[in-house]
Amino acid sequence: MAEILLDVQHLTHCFKLSRSAAIRAVDDVSFQLRRGEILGLVGESGSGKSTVARCALNVLKPTEGRILYKGVDVCDPKQFRANRRMLQTTRQLIFQDSTSSLNQHMTVADIIAEPMAIHHIRPKRGTLRAEAEFQLKYVGLDPTYLDKYPPELSGGMRQRVAIARALSMEPELLVADEPIASLDVSIQAQIINLFKHLQDEHGFSFLFIAHDLAVVRYLCDRVGVMYRGKLVELAPTQALFDDPHHPYTRSLLSAIPIPDPRRERARTLHSFDPAQFGREGALVEVAPDHYVLQRGGGA
Amino acid sequence: MEDRFAMVGIRSAPAAKPERRRRRSLPLPSVLLLAVIVLGCLCCELFIPKDPAYMDLFHYTQAPDSEFWFGTDTMGRDVFSMIWYGGRVSLCIGFLATLISTTIAVVFGSISGLAPRWLDDLLMRFTEIVLSIPSLLLVVLIQAILGKANVLSISLVIGVTGWTSIAKVVRTEVRRIRNSEHVIAARCMGAGFFRILWKHLAPNFFSSIMFMVVMNVRSAIVAESTLSFMGIGLPLEVISWGSMLSLSEKALSSGAWWIILTPGAFLVVTMLCITNIGNALRRNVSRKESNL
Repeated sequence: MAEILLDVQHLTHCFKLSRSAAIRAVDDVSFQLRRGEILGLVGESGSGKSTVARCALNVLKPTEGRILYKGVDVCDPKQFRANRRMLQTTRQLIFQDSTSSLNQHMTVADIIAEPMAIHHIRPKRGTLRAEAEFQLKYVGLDPTYLDKYPPELSGGMRQRVAIARALSMEPELLVADEPIASLDVSIQAQIINLFKHLQDEHGFSFLFIAHDLAVVRYLCDRVGVMYRGKLVELAPTQALFDDPHHPYTRSLLSAIPIPDPRRERARTLHSFDPAQFGREGALVEVAPDHYVLQRGGGA
Repeated sequence: MEDRFAMVGIRSAPAAKPERRRRRSLPLPSVLLLAVIVLGCLCCELFIPKDPAYMDLFHYTQAPDSEFWFGTDTMGRDVFSMIWYGGRVSLCIGFLATLISTTIAVVFGSISGLAPRWLDDLLMRFTEIVLSIPSLLLVVLIQAILGKANVLSISLVIGVTGWTSIAKVVRTEVRRIRNSEHVIAARCMGAGFFRILWKHLAPNFFSSIMFMVVMNVRSAIVAESTLSFMGIGLPLEVISWGSMLSLSEKALSSGAWWIILTPGAFLVVTMLCITNIGNALRRNVSRKESNL
């Protein structure tokens, strides 16, 4: 089995709403990301996927639990400071909304070269601009866009610029927080193919967050399903889609439309009653590498 | 399935023509007038006919004529020469004080905007306290502490008292921008405070404070002339528009209208130009933003 790059242990994050009320956005989530694999996280809106991603990249501070990246506890301020440069250069984040994740007052060239400028990295290709041009070509955009500002580009182009920025550091861990959710379908397909292609070439580990099951099935090696802050099922993609165990996963998978009207009509929806959902319980290995949240299960 | 949406090479953009940025439509008359005044003040040695400090005791309080274009004041100094020469001090104070107050406001406001809640509350209450003290009172107090006034100390005093309202705007804007994803992304990449401030925050809140900054130049010039008029600003022998105005009480009683009217007119015209430009800048910026 490949080396474990990111190890999330019992991660819990609460958002304080007021002095007394808090929301448990992520509740005791544990999973491991191996080097070179694409792990998908799916779940409905508000199930805590993005919070997991943000905790993993130190944007949010977890309430409980540990996150180990290459053996470094990123939530521990002391260890974070000691490995700061390594952590900031080898992990990169791609956001959902490229309108707000790119500064609209910077040119594309400046945006792509920004991480290198921050860390004073000597560009391999001479100048920062040459580097930006290379990365831009790499994600399939013409170098004429180097001097444009983000509002002058289309949504798909902007997302490519965001990807180019993340790739310019040649990261080992790439976290993409619903990178395709705000794009239209044909552009989504392009971006997904781009990700697949880049991952084949670079071999970075990829935490891919989405709510589109078809995309996850196509792209990911393993899939985790989240529901109300809990990780309810974690399995290799094929196993999850062939043999879902948790009732929520079943319900989620049954909701995928089938592009064949005759079979679509025959499709049955499994409904999932939220009242049945038990928060207690632990992940149990039901098949090799296939974990399901079960009540009263031991770790 | 794989190939259907695969990218087929790079889609090239239409040939980049050397696209020039559209000129911002500034009010031309105001810009020209302000340029004439500023340039005239900077290069006044080239054309002023008399030494502005020389007291011609044979021609005191003389009405404008062909020799003294704007007349002479009660001490026999040539008002035309004094206007250009004194404008230097006034404009210098205006811009210097604005620079000081804007710097303080931007740094203070950004710290407050990025700080945790309690520090933000503390800083903002402090700002409100400063804001609530009449600035004239504060100026007099600081001036008394600093001692003898010169151009630098006056600018400092006006700058230190005039930053509060800009700081409040900056703080509100920073609060709004700081959770946008490009700031989070920059922080993830490891950008420091001043880099985030300069690259990510400042360009985004600049448009909101632009107008206030330009207005600050105006109020600094007015503040200087107020101080000089009251006799706690620059000493009388330093010529500025303010100190010229401060002579006016004597001038008015003797009916020498030109002594007060000339610096007053220059002051008002400069203010009008600056206000006009400030307004145009604000309009342009908001139009540009609405295009995005």
